[in-house]
Amino acid sequence: MIHEVLARPAPAGAPAASGALAIRDLHKSFTIGGAPRTVLEGINLDIRPGEFVSIVGASGCGKSTLLRLIVGLDDDYRGEIRLDGERVSTTSLDRGIVFQDHRLFPWMTLEQNIELALLNTDVPKARRAQIVAEHIALVNLTGFEKAYPHQLSGGMAQRAAIARALVTEPKLLLLDEPLGALDALTRVRVQNELQRIWMTQRSTMLMVTHDVEEALYLGDRVVVMAPDPGRIRRIVEVDLPHPRDRAAPLLHRLKDEILAELTAAPSAPSNLVHLPGREVR
Amino acid sequence: MNALLSRSWIRALIGLIAPGLFLIWWQMQAQAGGAHALAFAPLQSVGAAFVELAVRGSLFPDMASTLSRSLSGLAIGGTLGIALGVAMAIWRPLDRVLNPLLQAIRQVPLMGWLPLLGLWVGTGQGTELIVVSLSAFFPTLLNSFEGVAGVERRFVEVGQIYGFTPLQRFRLILLPAAMPLILTGLTQGLAFAWIASIASEILLGVGGGLGVTMQLAQMQQRIDIILVAILVTAALGFTINRLFLRLRQHLLRWQAPLR
Ligand SMILES: Nc1ncnc2c1ncn2[C@@H]1O[C@H](COP(=O)(O)OP(=O)(O)OP(=O)(O)O)[C@@H](O)[C@H]1O
Ligand SMILES: [Mg+2]
Repeated sequence: MIHEVLARPAPAGAPAASGALAIRDLHKSFTIGGAPRTVLEGINLDIRPGEFVSIVGASGCGKSTLLRLIVGLDDDYRGEIRLDGERVSTTSLDRGIVFQDHRLFPWMTLEQNIELALLNTDVPKARRAQIVAEHIALVNLTGFEKAYPHQLSGGMAQRAAIARALVTEPKLLLLDEPLGALDALTRVRVQNELQRIWMTQRSTMLMVTHDVEEALYLGDRVVVMAPDPGRIRRIVEVDLPHPRDRAAPLLHRLKDEILAELTAAPSAPSNLVHLPGREVR
Repeated sequence: MNALLSRSWIRALIGLIAPGLFLIWWQMQAQAGGAHALAFAPLQSVGAAFVELAVRGSLFPDMASTLSRSLSGLAIGGTLGIALGVAMAIWRPLDRVLNPLLQAIRQVPLMGWLPLLGLWVGTGQGTELIVVSLSAFFPTLLNSFEGVAGVERRFVEVGQIYGFTPLQRFRLILLPAAMPLILTGLTQGLAFAWIASIASEILLGVGGGLGVTMQLAQMQQRIDIILVAILVTAALGFTINRLFLRLRQHLLRWQAPLR
């Protein structure tokens, strides 16, 4: 069982499994106050099918922007984003996202908010209620089915948003600081839950977080981004099998190093900091 | 103090203080004698006129006429206002074409249309209904437009993520998100329709209604009847407004309470 889950994705050249993301020379700029401002520059990233990749980086370095591009909400970019070889230009049920703000519809109950994700899927109508109930249970919100978002706490709403993104079982799930609003205890629990879901669904996941420990605990790789303009500073491979032991010494060592990287002077040449662990870039 | 205020009957009682003081002042004016007394009928004669109107007179048919005129006007003007407001917000070229015209029309006070409508459709009940509908139309139109135009992008994006069709987007996002403002428009529309009903009844004097009775009473110099009509108008208007607010609260139960 475990071994099956741990099986590394097929090497290049093998028939493409689903959920492979390829980003090439991605460049994105916004016009702010009449002047163009580069937000993402030269992003190159390959994510294997079924891989869990974490992204960490300073506030404002373009993490949410990157996810919006990948999910297809904004097609005004240079470079290429391909999912399973197909260029991303619009949204699709293949790609799910948990937004940084939960974005539940205030006018719908929790249950309705989750069920709407299934509206245009081919899940038979008769099964939908059950799937919704299962996912509500999964994020520990049973009993709140009929609650409106204003009656939920921030963390509960965030968990509901996770459930909404999970019901469609997308090939690629993007998570933008999904656990930001949770207390330490719930956070650990939802992290474990997320890890379990990822291992059973074997979908590709890309998660932005400010919590380096979380990034390392869940990620096969951690992408460290640098600001102004947003670019990838380093990609750290976390070569530990899942499910992981939080106390693993490697996780702690990598954490210190990523933190040092994140707090390094912005002008410092990035090759001065040498990271052990297996580096890809 | 707050606990006291939260009791509903106490709040109702507090709400009655100002009208009560007003009535006392009124009665004092009526009894002061002289030229004053003519304009201030004593309360007992107002009470007698009420009984007279209610039992033998036209009070209840009047109430029914004014009410049905206001509500049909609201239904017609409100429906058109919502439909056009929503359409203009979703399809901006329509807004660009119609906006200047509508803004210009809105500058003419409602009663300003009466002479023209009189020539077109005569000075009958049809004209009254048109004026009432027009008065309900504009507030509903403007608020519905603002409501739909102001729907937050982030909600529309959720619809995009889950592959909503245009109809789903409309039914599940735009309409409910705009609902608070649409209902505000309807509430204002109701108030305007009510005012326009009374006013057009007074001016045209056809088809029955509280305004028609006011106008007749004025010709017959029956201050007491005018007062009864005014009091009934106020009470009835207040009541339907309250009912409407209840309905609004029910429809918007998903909103966090303001207090
Ligand atoms: N719609 C927009 N128009 C103009 N500029 C934008 C827009 N969205 C984002 N930006 C700019 O892009 C930059 C990156 O924003 P983004 O939200 O991607 O940052 P982030 O890394 O997600 O930050 P945080 O960790 O605080 O969420 C910011 O400088 C922001 O000003
Ligand atoms: Mg962000």
